[in-house]
Amino acid sequence: MRSPLPTASDLDTTALAAVAAGLEAGDVKGCCATVYEQPAVRWLLGGELHPGGEELTRRTLELARVAATDRLLDVASGAGTTAMLAARERACEVVGLDYGAGAVAGARAEAEASGHGDRVSFVEGDAEALPFEDDSFDVVVCECALCTFPDKTTAVAEMRRVLRPGGRLALSDVTADHDRLPEDLRGTMATVACVGAALPEAGYRELLEAAGFEIEEVERATADVERLCERVRTRLRGAKVLGFEGLVPIDGGLAHAIDLAAEAKRAVGEGALGYAVMVARLRG
Amino acid sequence: MRANGNRNGSETTRPGFGPTSSICPECKIVLPAEVFERGGRVLIGRDCPEHGRFEAVVYGDAARYEAIQPYNKPGEEPLERQTETDRGCPHDCGICPEHKQHTCLGIIEVNTGCNLDCPICFADSGTGHDPTGFSLTLAEVESMLDSFVAAEGEPESIQFSGGEPSIHTEILPMLQAAKDRGIPLVMLNTNGIRLARDPRFAPALAEIGVHVYMQFDGFEDSTHLAIRGRRLQEEKLRALDNCAEHGVGVSLAAAIERDLNEHECGDIVRFGVDHPAVTGVFFQPVTHSGRFRPDSDPLDKLTNSDVIDLVSEQLPDWFEPADFIPVPCCSPSCRSATFALYDGEDLVPLPRLVDVDDYLDYVTNRAVPDLDVKEALEGLWSAKAAGGTAPTAERLDCVACAVGLPIELQEVATRGFMIAVQDFQDPYTLDVEKLKKCCVSEIAPDGRLIPFCAYNSVGYREQVREQRGGAVPLPVSPE
Repeated sequence: MRSPLPTASDLDTTALAAVAAGLEAGDVKGCCATVYEQPAVRWLLGGELHPGGEELTRRTLELARVAATDRLLDVASGAGTTAMLAARERACEVVGLDYGAGAVAGARAEAEASGHGDRVSFVEGDAEALPFEDDSFDVVVCECALCTFPDKTTAVAEMRRVLRPGGRLALSDVTADHDRLPEDLRGTMATVACVGAALPEAGYRELLEAAGFEIEEVERATADVERLCERVRTRLRGAKVLGFEGLVPIDGGLAHAIDLAAEAKRAVGEGALGYAVMVARLRG
Repeated sequence: MRANGNRNGSETTRPGFGPTSSICPECKIVLPAEVFERGGRVLIGRDCPEHGRFEAVVYGDAARYEAIQPYNKPGEEPLERQTETDRGCPHDCGICPEHKQHTCLGIIEVNTGCNLDCPICFADSGTGHDPTGFSLTLAEVESMLDSFVAAEGEPESIQFSGGEPSIHTEILPMLQAAKDRGIPLVMLNTNGIRLARDPRFAPALAEIGVHVYMQFDGFEDSTHLAIRGRRLQEEKLRALDNCAEHGVGVSLAAAIERDLNEHECGDIVRFGVDHPAVTGVFFQPVTHSGRFRPDSDPLDKLTNSDVIDLVSEQLPDWFEPADFIPVPCCSPSCRSATFALYDGEDLVPLPRLVDVDDYLDYVTNRAVPDLDVKEALEGLWSAKAAGGTAPTAERLDCVACAVGLPIELQEVATRGFMIAVQDFQDPYTLDVEKLKKCCVSEIAPDGRLIPFCAYNSVGYREQVREQRGGAVPLPVSPE
């Protein structure tokens, strides 16, 4: 039985301490995976692990023209929501990959329980060294995750390697113009919050084109990001009113986190921060 | 039920709109009527062969009216129905077999006399001698309570009203009689004058365990003079302080009228969350029942969406219209409510923290994650709920800590401040389809349960006065 509010037992303080230590040591990938496995963090995001939620996922799959005959790889599949949605609504075969062992186990259990087990499988692994053969997928989806990867060039090269020639890469991600971002949104916590290591829209374009992709579609989801920033800010305020100070282990605590969320929303309004869906086709 | 688009064989598929019945505000005969959109608002209209066409606004925002229709929980059976269907709704109350809901909240009006002569009074009460006035005896009230218990089994809430019930000499034993029948939430609907002037009254209410529902329309003299006919600010504050001193919880009831106290909605909430006695605010757009301002126009009255917008505009850091969720036990446009968590500085409405939609939308097919939580939310979003009361605290507790919040967090959660907006129907706005799902009933001296909006619109109030009135008036409690 799950409470709709986070509780102290949802907050794995040991894990959060490990996150802090990991960040010090430069293990951003591991930290991101741990953070997004936290029920309290999921509650903050309102079940939407990326702006636009399921609706934007549907739009992304549509732009990528995912068909029933496709074999699809979801890189950074998290709880498996997108992988299962694709299997259900596009009737294709899906493999989900995530760096977090907990996430993979949870997604497997959920796929089993909801009857998706025959078309969806989940694999634990690193996006910078994909455990798949060359040319083995028709579509690669990566939602709100590339922005957190420290070595984006390698990750994109890996996606290209596992895609067959003519395959599509559907990327939906945070866009950030760092020169115009306020100082607070550039730190390590900002990296975990998908902002610090995000590229400007042109940066993703260059990255994909340099890897041999041809950009087919770009759509911005500005209103979705603003809504998500506002939801996170409100839920942080709620946590503060409830006295749930341990929720965010950052300097300045909840009060600072609330300010960060407000700053992020402002930056979205000013165009320094955003979210975009990009579909690119592998030449060849 | 209209929410399913099945409305008197209507061809329209737009939920909540289309044919219904209403009455002629003049002669009260039942007429075919239509709910329709005009200028972005929702109106009800009908033609009386003798008195002509009548139109009234029932919801200020047509898009939102349509969007809230899924918040419509299937009605529950009362244990007993008191009348037969004979002339057809709304002339057979009640509750007759046509009615589609049991009673969440019962109201007993113990007298017609009052210590104020408000220019606006749906009960048409006052200080002067009224040939049809009455004052019920304790024995009568006990038998009415017994009827309520027979109809409901274990009724959860009752409100004593009037007139001004606090001036009834036997009001305390009446309240006690309700408690003795196991009703957990016993409310006294009062103007607060006796609470301000009689130092024994608040402690007596505390001892019985009564929740006070106090009229509180704003802070400005002009508001008090127009709605209550007297400057009352000092007495209201003294009444609240007396309640705070003795631990009596108070819900503020604010009648909101266009061009009068619209601008005070935000201030009332702000005052309420900071006052130690106040546990909630009920906003009521002024209706055109009983005594109302002669120049008021049924096409220009405030509705729930208007009041929700006023609160949101006046407290933009705290509220947005989506925080106010329709109460699904009655019709979705009757009552909307929210619960707010407040720490003395910031305030966050509960629907921002919990996806209440997932639980209280009865049409959109959603998987309900937790039935206990659903039940608790249904109890919170109900006409029987009032902030700061034991049943409400229990439900907030369930929502907040199904798995076990630390104790200190539970306490914050259970202090949820309730803000409700309730638009009662009047002879101009009456929609019979909506009325059939009403869950607030006046308990008549003969034991009938008469849905509140029928009682005030169709002629039942006048009928009860005729049957019961004219007896030698009882003395009233000295102030």
